[in-house]
Amino acid sequence: MKFGDIFFDLSFRSVRLNFTRSMLAAIGIVIGVVAISAMGMLGTNMQLEVKEQLSSSANTIVITPDSVRMGTPGAAPSTSSNSAITKTELTKITTVVGQNGTVVPIYSTSSQFTINSIPGRGMVYGLDTSDIPEFLSLNDTYGEGSTNIGVNEVLVGASIASNFGVKVGDRVKIGSVTESSRPQLRIAGVLNSRGTVVDGVSTDNAIVVNSKWYTNEYGGKDEYNQVNVIVKDTDNIPDIEDAIDAKVNTNSKSPAIRIRDAETLLATTTSTLGTVTTFIMAIGGISLVVAAVSIFNVMMMSVNERIQEIGILLSIGTERGEVRRMFLYEAFILGLLGAAIGGVCSLVIGYSVVDSMIGTTAYFFMFDSIIYVPIGMAIGIVVCIISGVYPAWKASNMDPIDALRSE
Amino acid sequence: MTQPPLIRLLDATKTYHLESGDFTALKEVSLDIQENDFVAIMGPSGSGKSTMMNLLGLLDVPTSGMLCIDGKDVAKLSNLERTHMRRDMIGYIFQKFYLIPLLSAYENVEYPLILKYKKRDTSGKAAELLARVGIDRDMSAHRPTQLSGGQQQRVAIARALVNDPKILLCDEPTGNLDRKTGLQIMDILCTLHHEGRCVILVTHDPKIAEYATRTIQLDDGQIVEDL
Repeated sequence: MKFGDIFFDLSFRSVRLNFTRSMLAAIGIVIGVVAISAMGMLGTNMQLEVKEQLSSSANTIVITPDSVRMGTPGAAPSTSSNSAITKTELTKITTVVGQNGTVVPIYSTSSQFTINSIPGRGMVYGLDTSDIPEFLSLNDTYGEGSTNIGVNEVLVGASIASNFGVKVGDRVKIGSVTESSRPQLRIAGVLNSRGTVVDGVSTDNAIVVNSKWYTNEYGGKDEYNQVNVIVKDTDNIPDIEDAIDAKVNTNSKSPAIRIRDAETLLATTTSTLGTVTTFIMAIGGISLVVAAVSIFNVMMMSVNERIQEIGILLSIGTERGEVRRMFLYEAFILGLLGAAIGGVCSLVIGYSVVDSMIGTTAYFFMFDSIIYVPIGMAIGIVVCIISGVYPAWKASNMDPIDALRSE
Repeated sequence: MTQPPLIRLLDATKTYHLESGDFTALKEVSLDIQENDFVAIMGPSGSGKSTMMNLLGLLDVPTSGMLCIDGKDVAKLSNLERTHMRRDMIGYIFQKFYLIPLLSAYENVEYPLILKYKKRDTSGKAAELLARVGIDRDMSAHRPTQLSGGQQQRVAIARALVNDPKILLCDEPTGNLDRKTGLQIMDILCTLHHEGRCVILVTHDPKIAEYATRTIQLDDGQIVEDL
């Protein structure tokens, strides 16, 4: 397309002459572009968000008791009696890990609690005080706290802190509300929000207690619900996992523990999200098919209304290719119009959808996300041009004599 | 005559295949037209005038027989070559003017130049021709629908002339104009003929045909008189 191309001018004037009709047809493209780019951006932002959350615990191997196991084929399924990780197993793990990381044994249970007379329910994690700073941090806006908690002190998660109006120094009663006498503990700090985590320690709606208090209260000393291994170098994760598996899961038919890490979880989650995103985008793409039909319709109207004009053009020496080009330009202009409006709408709608559904727009302007706007626009324009191919072909193949004679 | 004729029709026949059967619009017509001829083609409706104009204007090719323009056998040219010949050799003037409605008067005249040179005109030729046919600068910015019939036909003549064609094909050029305007248009055509162009004119009006130096009467697809 050259600047000042007369055929582009003719197409542009034709679109302007039938502006309302052209705009209505372009609305389909607008919707299609918005659907594709907004959905694409939403999916990508979800993936990026999940990735970010998972990568915060990418250095962690999560070891849980393999509590549900199938029996030998034909036999009735049996559940494991081993519903916790034992001290022996922990020792083996610690030996294997050695200097390559920190082993964090974790007790956990679900419990009711009361803070500031408001009852609630959440997880209670029992941790050794020295392990707490390995992966948890404090939010000092609620008052300065310490992770080095005593036996009668707790740390509360970010959601609990905001929902219950917690200040450092407040008291929490742990246990069923109906219980007459419940232990009362001092809140020694508020944890930073961790969001969705894969290391099995979702502290946002949880209370972290000293492991000594935990075993005193609930029993089960040295029967850990979970063991996390925080490794120094993530490249070693597969080796460490293999070593732990070899050492602890001595009976290969009936493994005692399950070993997971963020990497495997990340892979499955992002691939699932990717599939979902593609699927939603395909649904958005259907609107482009509808748009293609309406563009085709408008282009056919334009050709049929201008038969005589096409006859004039051909009879005074316009090449058929030039007539074809003129109508393809017209389709292109419609596409450009729809794509431009669609692009702006995608940014606005995409931004608000991402903001409301994911809760953060931190990733919105990242390349992987924002690229869906030009992609959506390009698809819209291509769809328009394809819709214009047949009308353009029809126009260029008219018999100039017949075309001139038509009124 | 030593010089080969500009246009030579030799036993040219044109048959249309219609649902009601074949219809022969031109029957073995032979005709030579020279470079400085001013030919009026006359005849009743259905006599083959339009068919002959379509053949001479390269919009159609004879079913049998031969048509040579400027020494070239039209039937042997490709579609694109015929289009280029139409653009460079022939200027069309229609009864209904047939200006391009989306273009201004000036752009309508400039259009064939753009077709030929694939770029906007900078030579000023379009403006010069418009001035010559009596369209001033103000008027040349108007769209065809804003011009009178006479003005539109003047623009159409300027458009036909802009690529310096050897042949001017005029299909009832005065048919949609009042008498006075029609005569003004004929004066322009006469001047063009005197400048050495070949003018071929289809008309019903014997008064108009009088401007021509040669009159061909067609009837039932055949030449019945050639004066």
